[in-house]
Amino acid sequence: MSNIDMDFGMILELISFLLMDLVKHLRYFIVVAEELHFGNAAIRLGMAQPPLSQRIRRLEEELGVRLFDRSSRQVRLTEAGRALLAEAVEIVARVDRLRTLAERGEGTVLRVGVPPDLGSAVIAALIAGFREAERGVRLEPAEMWSADQVTGITDGVLDVGVIRHPIAAPGLSFGPMLVQRPGVVLADSDPLAGTASVHLADLAGRRLVLFPGEPGLQEETLAECRRHGFVPQEVHEAQTLGLVMAGTAVAFGPRVELPGLRWRPLLGNPLAWRISTAWRGEAGPAAAAFGAVAVRVLRDNAGMTDDGAAPVRQVRARPASGFLA
Amino acid sequence: MTRPERLAGRSAGDTAGEEEFDGLFRAAGVTGFLHAVDVDTGAEVAYGADESVVTASVFKVALLVEFFRQADRGLLDPAERVTIMADRHTPGPTGVAAMADDVTMSLRDLAYLMIAVSDNTAADTLVGRVGLEAVNTMLASFGLTGTRVEHDCAELFTSIVQDTGQQEMPTDPAVVSRLRVLDPARTNRSTPRETTRLLAAIWRDEAASPESCAWIRRLMGLQVWPHRLAAGFPYDDVAVSGKTGTLPTVRNEAGVVEYPDGGRYAVAVFTRSYGTAQNQPRADAVIGTSARVAVERLRALS
Repeated sequence: MSNIDMDFGMILELISFLLMDLVKHLRYFIVVAEELHFGNAAIRLGMAQPPLSQRIRRLEEELGVRLFDRSSRQVRLTEAGRALLAEAVEIVARVDRLRTLAERGEGTVLRVGVPPDLGSAVIAALIAGFREAERGVRLEPAEMWSADQVTGITDGVLDVGVIRHPIAAPGLSFGPMLVQRPGVVLADSDPLAGTASVHLADLAGRRLVLFPGEPGLQEETLAECRRHGFVPQEVHEAQTLGLVMAGTAVAFGPRVELPGLRWRPLLGNPLAWRISTAWRGEAGPAAAAFGAVAVRVLRDNAGMTDDGAAPVRQVRARPASGFLA
Repeated sequence: MTRPERLAGRSAGDTAGEEEFDGLFRAAGVTGFLHAVDVDTGAEVAYGADESVVTASVFKVALLVEFFRQADRGLLDPAERVTIMADRHTPGPTGVAAMADDVTMSLRDLAYLMIAVSDNTAADTLVGRVGLEAVNTMLASFGLTGTRVEHDCAELFTSIVQDTGQQEMPTDPAVVSRLRVLDPARTNRSTPRETTRLLAAIWRDEAASPESCAWIRRLMGLQVWPHRLAAGFPYDDVAVSGKTGTLPTVRNEAGVVEYPDGGRYAVAVFTRSYGTAQNQPRADAVIGTSARVAVERLRALS
């Protein structure tokens, strides 16, 4: 059928050359898309402008679409260019990641992200558990909030994350979803510190401390608070319980035993903080092992439960506040 | 009904506990009597829980129980429709009692009005079917010897008219003080502890058949008043079912509070105000706040 005369080895070589070349062209494309200026992009790439323009044109020919609108005064991404940019970034990042893995010898280090509020004991248990499960691999944990972890995983800086939901994380895969049921942390001078359990509505008029870097969780938590009659007078983003200890705010979280603070369960467990492991693409054996350890540790050491155990929020209707009453 | 009850209210910290209730009731300008019991564990909080108290309309709960027990035995048909002529209405501010014309409805819908808005005419119509002696026999069979229904609503009203010479509820302290309906010995009476025992039996399906107990619970959950027991539990996921009782200086409510974690607590609060005004918002409110304190204490035990 074919009258091209090439042997198999030659074909492979050509494919690999084209691939490497394609990645290089995609890099040029990304830089131009970032700069939207061929001159600036060329400076960043350490090359002259004409060959850069030529390469972008070649890429456009190769893909069969125009990536940029070039007028005399400005360069703009076309519709197709915008669509392909995300993919290009993804491909380049993965190729880079492949290289890094190859360079350091795959699996010797596993870089994992964990939310800082998990606490020292849980993080220590994660490391110990992993050491037992996967002896040949060193764990390199970094304390990061979920949004930063997602960026880290996407950029190939992290191998696995332990992240809170809901979160926007396109392209990431998640392990089993676990649920944490936070209570409320109060100053021990708070009148509510004397009660057995606290209802969200009881917190009315108080200020609230929430973790930074967890926008999805914050949104969900505040919505649930509103639904139960607690509209915080003010929301502070903070990593410590200093404001709570000072008596100016309350916080949600797992049980704490610190002088000056009281932890109380929330009546009916209205808050359900969901957490899972996350990674990109195929999880390697070390990443899979860490995922399993993380689920076990979060269940055993951090009191989290499987997602299915979350009770349904119920409203007990009262005639005095019923329809049109 | 006969299970042993743990005496949480009489254990350590009791003096401090009593003082808290003293303070709450005093600040509301009332004398209060309270009993709260965990329906499932029997743990309890008591404050004057064995005093004889005027039930006012709280007696309608006992009437409701006997009504459904008679339905269980086939003695009456809850769906039977009856007509109450306009000239036979017992006085009262709500429901059929307040309506101008003849009313035809089923017995169980009358039971609904009797509980939902404390309809006196509906109650007396049911008394006519069920019989006060049958109610008292039922109460005695449960061992509730301090609980007795002496009169229906019309008789209570007549007694007030005789004592005061007027149709309106009196506010003159001198007149109020001679009302026989305010003397537990001579009117419908109970104790806070016996009232919660009846409620707990309803919630444990022991007061009547399980189906009938479910009906009774449903009707008590449909009571409309938000200002007493329910006011102490302003939470969407907490259910409050109850029955109020009101007479000059008397503000009562007895009911069951159900928490989203499954905890359920029968609470009875009976109050007598020092003032004789018709409007007693602080007395209304302290029923909720004292009940809340009692339930909090029960929840701290479990």
